[in-house]
Amino acid sequence: MKPVARFAAALLGSVFAAGLYAGAANAEVTVLGWPGGPEETALRAAADAYNAKDDVSEENKVELLFFNRDGFWDKLQADLAAGSDAFDLNLLATYSIGRYAPFMEPVELSDEAQALYGDAVLSTMQFDGKQYGVPTDLSLHFMYYRKDLIDALMSDDDAKARYADISEEHLGTAMEPKNPDEWTWDDYAATALYFTKAVNPDSPTRYGTVLQMKNLLFNIMVWQSTARSYGGDWMDADGKITVDSEAFRKGLELYKKLYDAGATPRDSLSYEFAEANAAYAAGQVAAMVQWNAAAADLTNAEKSPAVGEVTATIAPPSGPEARATHIHGLGLGLNKSAENKEGANAFLKWLSTEEAALIYARAGGAPALSADAVSSVADERPDLVQLGEYAGAYGYVMNGGASANALAIYELQAKEFTGYWSGQQDLDTALANVEKGMADLLK
Amino acid sequence: METTHRLEWTLLATPLMVFLLVCLGFPAIVNLIYSVSDISFETLRNPEISGFGNFVAVLTDSGFWRANWFSLRFGLLTAILECLIGLGLAVFLAPLFKDRSWPIAILMLPLMVAPALMGLMYRLVLHEFAGPVPHYLWAWFGNSPAFLGPNSAFWTLAVVETLQWTPFAFLLFHMAYQAIPEELREAASIDGVMGLARFWRIELPLMLPTLAAALLIRFIDGFRVFDNVYVLTGSGAGGSTTSLSIYIYEAFFKQAAIGKAVAASVILFAASFAVLYGLNRLARRRRR
Repeated sequence: MKPVARFAAALLGSVFAAGLYAGAANAEVTVLGWPGGPEETALRAAADAYNAKDDVSEENKVELLFFNRDGFWDKLQADLAAGSDAFDLNLLATYSIGRYAPFMEPVELSDEAQALYGDAVLSTMQFDGKQYGVPTDLSLHFMYYRKDLIDALMSDDDAKARYADISEEHLGTAMEPKNPDEWTWDDYAATALYFTKAVNPDSPTRYGTVLQMKNLLFNIMVWQSTARSYGGDWMDADGKITVDSEAFRKGLELYKKLYDAGATPRDSLSYEFAEANAAYAAGQVAAMVQWNAAAADLTNAEKSPAVGEVTATIAPPSGPEARATHIHGLGLGLNKSAENKEGANAFLKWLSTEEAALIYARAGGAPALSADAVSSVADERPDLVQLGEYAGAYGYVMNGGASANALAIYELQAKEFTGYWSGQQDLDTALANVEKGMADLLK
Repeated sequence: METTHRLEWTLLATPLMVFLLVCLGFPAIVNLIYSVSDISFETLRNPEISGFGNFVAVLTDSGFWRANWFSLRFGLLTAILECLIGLGLAVFLAPLFKDRSWPIAILMLPLMVAPALMGLMYRLVLHEFAGPVPHYLWAWFGNSPAFLGPNSAFWTLAVVETLQWTPFAFLLFHMAYQAIPEELREAASIDGVMGLARFWRIELPLMLPTLAAALLIRFIDGFRVFDNVYVLTGSGAGGSTTSLSIYIYEAFFKQAAIGKAVAASVILFAASFAVLYGLNRLARRRRR
């Protein structure tokens, strides 16, 4: 055979083989997951366990697919809307469920799911009364604080006197330091100011706190628990938008006051999850509100040598109305254009069993399990006990937070509120713009 | 003869025309339809034509004009900086490049980095605790500017963009400079025109077409900037670093305002076309 003919034959053979492989791949259950971090590790472990089961046929084995986390939801939106069948199951989040529901199908969970997760957690994956996903991870917020610094403050009378002076000067009341589990937002603010070098040159840290103020929807989720604890909501029971309220003003002013006083790095207006963690892990921040996902790193002395051993976590501070933490779930749901719906449903049903949830939890995921279920992994994952406890006691979803335009509302608030924090517009203008924009988005 | 010529032209041009129609014509027509439609992700395949509401929404949106202003300033500033530095490097380092290729390879390195990665890199480099630049500024001077703070973000972004794309401008100028006939320089030397005077009176005029092209290319690239800016600051506090590309992206994906985003892109296309057409006519008039 001539070289050209040999090359052509090899090429044809390769194309044929690739076609066969593609055919085989199509028969599998392809899961589009959230890349990076504990969610990916946990999903890999769960998929491996499922594929190793005797009763899972070759054509129903699970194959995982990940694409870049940056802009993940936007790309997923385009793929789903285009009717892509490149994946059978895809990630879903409480705040995006209304947006994706038209391109997805409701799912059926196992008989164990109700007792395993409970109504509140299952509802994070529901839209219009239908279950659209298995809740694999729950996200909420912890207050991370330096126990060594707080203990030193509490045991030093001179420090207490300085604390009282600073709080009187900046907050209008002479306050006494308290344990973080008793903190209101005023206590948090006073502590943040006390541990800020620009306010208190004797502070052992450069900043009292680190705020995530980048124009980013996830940052608004972190911030809004302040407004919520003052009684704030997006809408009242009649659907009237209630953002321009005393509660929202208090929460927004708190961030502005801390930013202007230099209690958070001046670059905070470009900070998100990773930057805030880096600042805290450097040992130059006394306390911060952050996603629970940071707990594994920030309380680990190997990963965060400067703070790992002295960091403690507690629920975010309370306001006059309540102690509150935003919650949302990540989960897996069924693509309407999926090619292997039967296999996909079988995997989802298994994923909602206790066996799967425990495998997922042991591999680093963050499922919010009922007290009975979590007791099996409490020794290995003590943070999951806190997760379930805080979600049940303080968790909230803003009224409208699962609507079709919830993401766009967060985006709108992020833009307007960061505009206020950075001094580009006043508070009245920011709130008026948000109310007007929300009225359009919730039509 | 005329018929044969026309036939040849048709035969040769047909593949190009088909390519243009398929690759540019189809999306252009779809975009035009979307821009006058009430459209969402659910109705992408059967848009309902509703009039010029999307154009009105864009033109009455202060965010659109603010994004235009950002893009215009950013495009002009970075184009001028890149061309000035690129020209300086090409001319004053010319002896270094004679018979050596490695200095050029080193200068080209920033072009090898994807803009999004460049943004990510600088996000780390400029972080107050993780980044080396603020770290050493704190260590040596006890303070560091907030590189991505609301007052300095624009300048930081412009510097990052300039660092990445100056090599491109340099490459153009290097080629143009090398293309100047050596005899001209020799003649100038004999006439006593040396140094800066030779550059100003002889070399620069000969490089002017390249300079104009480089300025235009870099302005267009700077005007439509997305990756660097988006990775470094998102769209900025209160939308302060929203370029026109980011405005369109956010309207399309974040707000699901597809009609508005497409209308903005149509306006951008029309404006770009008008500017390029105007420049082309001006150039033709000058040539006459």
